[in-house]
Amino acid sequence: MNNPVSPAAGPAPSGPTGMAPGTPPVLQLRGIGKFFPGVIANKDVDLDVWPGEIHALLGENGAGKSTLMNVVTGIYQPEEGEIILDGYGQTFTSPQEAIRAGIGMVHQHFKLVQAFTVAENIHLGWDEAPRLASPAVMEARTREISERFGFPVDPAARVCDLSAGEQQRVEILRVLARRARLLIMDEPTAVLTPEETGELFRALRAFRAQGNAVIIISHKLDEVMEISDRVSILRGGRKVGTFRTADCTPSMLAATMVGRDIVRRNMRARAEGAAPIAPHPIMQLRHVSVRDDRGVETLRDVSLDLHGGEIVGIAGVAGNGQRELTHVLTGLMARTAGEIVLDGSVVDRADPALFAHAGIGHIPEDRLRSALAPALSITTNMALREYAQAPIGRHGLYDAGAAGELARDIAGLAQVNIPDFAMPIRNLSGGNQQRLVARREIRIASRVLVAAYPARGLDIGAIATMLGYLTDLRDQGVAVVFISEDLEDLLNVSDRIGVMFHGRMMDVIDAENADIATIGMLMGGREPASLQPGGPQ
Amino acid sequence: MATRAFQRLPTAPAGRILALRLVAIALSLCIIAGVLALSGHSPVMLAELILRSTLGSRFGLEDLALFMCPLLLTGAAVTVCGTIGLWNIGAEGQFYAGAIAATGVALGLHGPALVMLPLMTIAGILGGMAWITVPTLARAYAGVNEIITTLLLNFIASLLTYYLTTGPWRDRISGAQVSTQRLSVSIPEMWGIVHWGFPVAIVIVVGLALILSRTRWGYEIRIGGANPEAARYAGIPVRLRIISVMLLSGGLAGLAGMFEVAGTVHRLQGGMANNFGYLGIVVAVLARGSCLNVIPAALLMALILDSGIVMQTQQLSASVILAITGLILFMIAIGDELAHYRPVATTPAKGKAS
Repeated sequence: MNNPVSPAAGPAPSGPTGMAPGTPPVLQLRGIGKFFPGVIANKDVDLDVWPGEIHALLGENGAGKSTLMNVVTGIYQPEEGEIILDGYGQTFTSPQEAIRAGIGMVHQHFKLVQAFTVAENIHLGWDEAPRLASPAVMEARTREISERFGFPVDPAARVCDLSAGEQQRVEILRVLARRARLLIMDEPTAVLTPEETGELFRALRAFRAQGNAVIIISHKLDEVMEISDRVSILRGGRKVGTFRTADCTPSMLAATMVGRDIVRRNMRARAEGAAPIAPHPIMQLRHVSVRDDRGVETLRDVSLDLHGGEIVGIAGVAGNGQRELTHVLTGLMARTAGEIVLDGSVVDRADPALFAHAGIGHIPEDRLRSALAPALSITTNMALREYAQAPIGRHGLYDAGAAGELARDIAGLAQVNIPDFAMPIRNLSGGNQQRLVARREIRIASRVLVAAYPARGLDIGAIATMLGYLTDLRDQGVAVVFISEDLEDLLNVSDRIGVMFHGRMMDVIDAENADIATIGMLMGGREPASLQPGGPQ
Repeated sequence: MATRAFQRLPTAPAGRILALRLVAIALSLCIIAGVLALSGHSPVMLAELILRSTLGSRFGLEDLALFMCPLLLTGAAVTVCGTIGLWNIGAEGQFYAGAIAATGVALGLHGPALVMLPLMTIAGILGGMAWITVPTLARAYAGVNEIITTLLLNFIASLLTYYLTTGPWRDRISGAQVSTQRLSVSIPEMWGIVHWGFPVAIVIVVGLALILSRTRWGYEIRIGGANPEAARYAGIPVRLRIISVMLLSGGLAGLAGMFEVAGTVHRLQGGMANNFGYLGIVVAVLARGSCLNVIPAALLMALILDSGIVMQTQQLSASVILAITGLILFMIAIGDELAHYRPVATTPAKGKAS
């Protein structure tokens, strides 16, 4: 099995043209596997990165991109497989060894000392820094490095005074000064303005022209199309395939990223006695927009009607406004334009307590960070939504006994076996935490449940259970908003599917007749009018 | 395959913490004994003397209670603030502010103790609250770090006390230095020189423990401290809770100042806070965020202070006590960390590794 790509994975890749025969790839990964307790982060990953190429690594959150790159840069040691540099096998026991071997990584969150100057940051922890380094010497060296690599920086400036783009340049120079031949960039454009992105791409192309290689992690499809020579797609910790970017389209990449072997199972069928889809919407978004702190519109003119007894799926590549949509629907974020109508009356205040009280449950994307207090007990966490109501919260008191009963109820329904309800909830596995949060939210979701990626990180059985929760709730007449990156799940349970791109709701389509190609197109930003047949399959 | 001999637990069991703390204290005492022996004192004799004059005598026990009283309240002040994830380093300043306010009432008004004592109590609490008001608002509305603001106000409060006790409020009757005159009212004594402030402080600490664990407000404080984002998600008004907790914390430290003025010292004196505010932080750290634990922690701290007095009679410097406090805290911190580790049976080698 020397072929790095399985035959089904699409066009077979090869090195960029114009290279002397026998030139080895800068980096070869063979059968990399990395496991965490209960999680397969990477399995059987093969990857070739050639000199003079920009290689994009594409995949949804949790697809294993970051873990893979942490393996390559020596932060993690793989349990399986080998890393081959220039044809020689290597093992890195620390990031320093990877840097010495010419692999440099620029993280999404910069690792610079804010109070130091650019020159000081460049020389920090660098074994080639002169022993007696005056500011003048370091700045002169920095200036020389900056000119050599074509990343203009002011060596005497303090990092805290620099813009995000300038800080990124310092990070890149730090790596390049240490003679990196393979530059790994994690979501480099996430913090950049369009102009800064353009500058970065020009510099990366110049770096490539010198025979170096770049791995760029991204899930911005248009940028991947623009900058990369080849693209490898990871899904569920495994590589789906490597493609020449020239042979790809954004919609095909989107569809490949989220899954191609989709098993259609109709979970739309209602049980006997289930509530029908209510004729009047419970909740409506009318032309709702949200701007973030920087004035960027993260949700643009979204209109959506939620009817009781219906599941509305939200598809889209992560980061296209799903988070904002969730927060607007649950009162965590104030809209900047448009209106939200709940039971026929306009809601003016973004107040999560008010929304929860109105019967809107919320299973958030990042449960440990936003739905739980990890250090507090399971009982305390389970009371989070009902602590102010009888029987727990009467007369301003908090009845720990009643909270304990509630916690036992929730754990029973969630089928989570808990030896000790007083232990911190962080001691539970991620899957069990998710089940508990889901059941806690379902309890209060008498009108609407907003579930953001509720199946993320769960195993197959647990996913089926979670989807069952959603359809049960639907049958009770609750409106369910189901945000997911898994098209299969979306198609199986949703009645309608809305597709988000760049903060816009591209279209809301009937799930029964939806085809994956159409959804893929919409996820890639194609207007519904310009849709034509064709796609990844 | 490499095996680890120790496994780190996410939460240390309380029993292990207690056991390791006892070991830590015992080790600290050994070190102290060693140092004392090296400097020519007999540790055994000193230990005997200390035990006899602290736990073994009525005077020692009375002193112990008087030391405990302010430590209970300042320790509770820091603990309550810590519940919502904030550090009140300014209990010392709030202590002074409470003491000043209570003294102001006692010097300015005249009436029966039944009227004066409640007025002084309220003044003391309000004084402490007033002293933490600016850090509170700066924290709640501008995100200014409360550690720095509360700390810096300590020096102002201390200097203000020196100014008052050497200036406008100086003792014109007996001419005591850096002190007001003896106040006309005092908290009644219940046992020797131990005043009723001591049982009241115990009741307050127990009450706080109940409030934090048994009220909605306490629940919201605990959630807000453990994860502000989850608190926001649940619709808890975190900002209002921060304000109420910090004011409560300031009020507790102010009350400690009032008790000290009206119960123990009977005057406002420069330097009278005696580090009780800072030692409140030590007590809170020892109590590990639990109000009920403040009681044994304050007892331990009071014992150390009480021993200090005995040591000073034996020509040992007063700063020895600070060194001992630091050493014990240091050892306990190590013990607490070690309590997270559990020995794991190492797997026996299975022949040659393949």
